[in-house]
Amino acid sequence: MTAPQLAPTGLRQGLSSLRSSVLVAALRVFLVYMAALLLQLTIFVEVRVVGVAPELPALVAVLAGLLAGARGGSLIAFGAGLMWDVYLPTPLGLAAVTFALVAYGLGSLTEDLFHDTRIQTGLLAFVGTAASVAAYAVLGEVVGQRGLVDDALLRIVLVSSALNAVLSLAVAPAMRWAVWGGRSRRPSVDPPRITARNRR
Amino acid sequence: MAAAQRSGRSRYRLLLLILTAITLLTLDFRGYGPLETAQSRVRDILEPVVSAVDVVLGPVAEVWTVMFSYNDLRAENDRLRAEVDSLRSADMRAAARDDTLERLLEATGVTYVDDIEQITASVLRHSVGNFDDDIVSIDVGHRDGVAPGMAVVTAAGLVGRVETVDTGLSTVTMISDPNLVIGVRLIDTGDVGLGHGMAGEPTRFVVDTGLRWPGTGDLSELPAIGSTVVTAAGSRYPANIPVGRVSTVEPAEGGLVQLVTVDLAAAVDDLGYVTVLLQAPVEEAPVGPDSPFSEPSP
Repeated sequence: MTAPQLAPTGLRQGLSSLRSSVLVAALRVFLVYMAALLLQLTIFVEVRVVGVAPELPALVAVLAGLLAGARGGSLIAFGAGLMWDVYLPTPLGLAAVTFALVAYGLGSLTEDLFHDTRIQTGLLAFVGTAASVAAYAVLGEVVGQRGLVDDALLRIVLVSSALNAVLSLAVAPAMRWAVWGGRSRRPSVDPPRITARNRR
Repeated sequence: MAAAQRSGRSRYRLLLLILTAITLLTLDFRGYGPLETAQSRVRDILEPVVSAVDVVLGPVAEVWTVMFSYNDLRAENDRLRAEVDSLRSADMRAAARDDTLERLLEATGVTYVDDIEQITASVLRHSVGNFDDDIVSIDVGHRDGVAPGMAVVTAAGLVGRVETVDTGLSTVTMISDPNLVIGVRLIDTGDVGLGHGMAGEPTRFVVDTGLRWPGTGDLSELPAIGSTVVTAAGSRYPANIPVGRVSTVEPAEGGLVQLVTVDLAAAVDDLGYVTVLLQAPVEEAPVGPDSPFSEPSP
């Protein structure tokens, strides 16, 4: 009678622990993202290179795709884009969907290939930011925003991507802490599934 | 098998995110009130934090500006010094003739609208992103009576339109933004049309809708170069606010309509203070079959 009760209790504890660890990870990601957003809204309004600022919200989204994988990364990226949308004059949801798509793409393409070296992270931050900025401009034009795709687009894409690649040296450790916690590599992508077999 | 299931669930989640974004985009385009209110609340909550971080990190930004804009600042300083000398000279001459204070008020005040309540605001910060060069934040909001759509001016003329309004903060879309369409009247001919900013050219404005090219071929019917362009009665904004002066007039769309380029009256790239005209904005865009800005039929 005692033995059958142990399994559900253990399962409940496991699920409860999983839930709390997910909540803690979400809180850490939120803190890192808010720090990035505040820097973007303050210092990077003035600090620009040839008139272009880094895109920290996009960098957080790209790193989320790399570190949390396609599934978790796209969700984090969507949230990051949605928060950034609040401050942009373009319609709400534009940056969110762009970031989610890029994080999903990067997470899928680099699954099992991402080794989290500085050079690899910098290169992927460059590529991911370029894809995010270009896709944001193109999607913006598609939904009727004028002036996003013009002569300045190439300059904005290249400079913001280069700046993000450099800044990834500082942001990547913070995102690694936020997504992975104390672990040294990407955690299991999915929580353990509850099946009829392990329920028994 | 497990990998395939995982991939399927990932795609399903991505699809849900895309559908959510499409829903938000649709609601935003339709001007869904609660969505705008929610965004405004988020900005209101974060504004004290943003301001505090801004104060803390302000010196860093200033160091950067000094390091990389030294030559520009020196040139600007020389220009301002010359301007001050010129103004001082003019001021002394004026003082000899008339009441100096009154003249100063005439020079700096908004004189082309006298029956509309106004509020002066300082520009807090410029664009936060890389694609919104034509957006600035000003330090007035709901509590000051500001509402979306109100005209923003300087002594020189129209500079933009209030876009979003939070409790103590608003964003202004500059007249140089290609997305901001304005109904204008050409003083020289009396014609009215719709115009907007030109991408990458913050000092110019183009009127490309509503002005018919003279059917008779009589070019004297075209507006004179240098003639004044103002906001039209029936546009979203109060009438007769200076917009700029005609720079070029060209035929467009097979010679059927005029393409009038305008040099903007107000410089919008380095604003410090602006005035918001507290007149309830017209909600509807000035287009439609009965609109004075309608496209002329060929």
